Amino acid sequence: MKDYLYDGSFEGALTGIYQMFNDRVKAGEARLVWAATYQRDCFTKVTEVETDPSKAEKVTRWLLEEFGEIGFRRAAYAYLSDDDQYGTYLFCFLKKMNRLGEKGLDFFADQDINKVYKIYNRVCRESHLLLGLIRFMELENGILYATFEPTANILTLLTGHFKERLSNQIWVIHDTKRKIAAFYDGKEVYIRPLDELEDLKLSGSEKAYQDMWKTYFKRIAIERRNNPRQQMHMMPKKYWKFLVEKPQEKTK
Amino acid sequence: MEVLEKLAILADSAKYDVSCSSSGSSRPGEKNALGSASLPGICHSFSDDGRCISLLKILYTNKCIYDCGYCINRSSNDELKRVEFTPDELVDLMIQFYRRNYIEGLFLSSGVVRNPNYTMEQLIEVVKRLRTVERFNGYIHLKGIPGADAKLIEEAGKYVDRISINIELPTTKSLRLLAPEKSRIDMINPMMQIKEGIEEYRSDKGRFKNAQKFVPAGQTTQLIVGASPEADYNILRIAESFYKKMDLKRVYYSSYIPVGNVPSCQPYGEMSLMREHRIYQADWLLRFYGFRAGEILTEEDPFLEMMIDPKCQWALRNMQYFPIEINRADLMTLLRIPGIGNVTARRILASRKFGPLDFDALKRMGVVLKRAKYFITCRGKMMTAADQNPFLIRQLLADVSPQISLFEIYPNQFGVSS
Ligand code: SF4
Repeated sequence: MKDYLYDGSFEGALTGIYQMFNDRVKAGEARLVWAATYQRDCFTKVTEVETDPSKAEKVTRWLLEEFGEIGFRRAAYAYLSDDDQYGTYLFCFLKKMNRLGEKGLDFFADQDINKVYKIYNRVCRESHLLLGLIRFMELENGILYATFEPTANILTLLTGHFKERLSNQIWVIHDTKRKIAAFYDGKEVYIRPLDELEDLKLSGSEKAYQDMWKTYFKRIAIERRNNPRQQMHMMPKKYWKFLVEKPQEKTK
Repeated sequence: MEVLEKLAILADSAKYDVSCSSSGSSRPGEKNALGSASLPGICHSFSDDGRCISLLKILYTNKCIYDCGYCINRSSNDELKRVEFTPDELVDLMIQFYRRNYIEGLFLSSGVVRNPNYTMEQLIEVVKRLRTVERFNGYIHLKGIPGADAKLIEEAGKYVDRISINIELPTTKSLRLLAPEKSRIDMINPMMQIKEGIEEYRSDKGRFKNAQKFVPAGQTTQLIVGASPEADYNILRIAESFYKKMDLKRVYYSSYIPVGNVPSCQPYGEMSLMREHRIYQADWLLRFYGFRAGEILTEEDPFLEMMIDPKCQWALRNMQYFPIEINRADLMTLLRIPGIGNVTARRILASRKFGPLDFDALKRMGVVLKRAKYFITCRGKMMTAADQNPFLIRQLLADVSPQISLFEIYPNQFGVSS
């Protein structure tokens, strides 16, 4: 067995892929894993991958040319899953794709292709769900501010949608787990590091609208059809913390 | 009165309408405008009954001059507090909810206050103001008031994404009994008018750059199930003909919930969510699986089974078509197999090109083998040595703890396809 270690970045993973193809590694022969959490033992040969933007760039171009936009998106979105097996899955996926070409993207029966598709799909689903679950509050200065903690690192996948939708507003979406935020100034979106904010000053009418939304949320349910299981299934509990409405909270 | 109180009362009065989907329109944002529309629609929350909240579903008023037996807002219901929004209040609420990403848009309906035309004018006032003054570019679904003038429907159609005229009850007879002031013709005429308007818009859109928009996300309707005696077969036949003749996007089915005690409006038959669910599944077969109503049910056998889904029900009655060889069947044939849906059928076709598929591969691709295994072969072999006795298979296929899956009712909202 042989292990390639990368720094956890997308460029790092792509550099690793470059190196593994260069070393003519066969699928199943080696893994591509995070350096930070790696446990060494004396049986495995270890190669440290040094992230190299120009190699990553070459792999990116290769992906786009050979497997098209869709192929690239599968590889890139799957990266956002933060799955610790990602590197190895990506390697096996690309080994197969290298043989089959772009049409291989449809080979759902294949384990390696299916694996990356599944992770990609999980990321897509979470980001679609969160397009709806993001809640903005209006700050004193009129800025709309939202916090959330997605399982996958999907902040960048949300910004395009909100740039369209709230194009005449100024907003911030803050991933408080990863401490990064997307800022929109009415023209462009910027992604920047951002620590937890303290002492947020809300606008004067914010609480009134939040109360109205909570009331609406309670009243729109048909009581005798209560179905908390379904509710939790569609909207997992881990996201509730960031909602204005608190499902299953008793109303006065 | 405070807006908060009106909101509470009018949400209460609106909640029995089942449609909430925000699908069918795709519109990018515009400079200096608020809002966009997303083709598959987006759920913004899930209420305690597990339903998707996408649009602000609200009545303009619950005051109503009519007395429909199945409706909480009927004029004879004296337990209800009656309130009415002003257009300003509703517009402000909409915009403020939308900015905060609570909702995807508006689904506005109303009781009939004063007369149909007056009511329709109020609704138009709200949507017009949203579009022209607030420059709101998000999704709007408006309920058409039966009996309102054709020119009001035409006016409304310019501003909204979707209109629905609710047909309410499956037959004229039931309508006469339960909603005596409403006439079938007052529903059919505007539906025809909307259909023609949409067709005109579609053809203009191709030819002129600035074609006047008209209901771009199409029209839908709603049927109440279980307030009148019609069987599932009749309901499916009606839905089928509406899909064909009116080009409807959706028929929504709402299982009747008795609201107060109206002697003429007692629930019929098995009053369950399960029935509603089975009808939705059958509707699905009509729209996406190439089934005809007459294949799913017949006059002699007019009810859907509660224990198994409609596709299984059909398959067990037609065992002569099975088993089907996965590696050879075409799309329409694959779609007839229980446990195989639209997405998986297409994946099977695509993956087959790389070589024959086995059961493991099918499982990976999302085939529900628990159901499909009685109906398929892979390279000539069945998965189980199960015998082909439909009676036995029926027992094995029964939903033990039937769980309503909103996935099936609102697939677009949850499924992100590649
Ligand atoms: S007209 Fe509409 S709101 Fe009025 S009673 Fe009939 S269904 Fe209810």
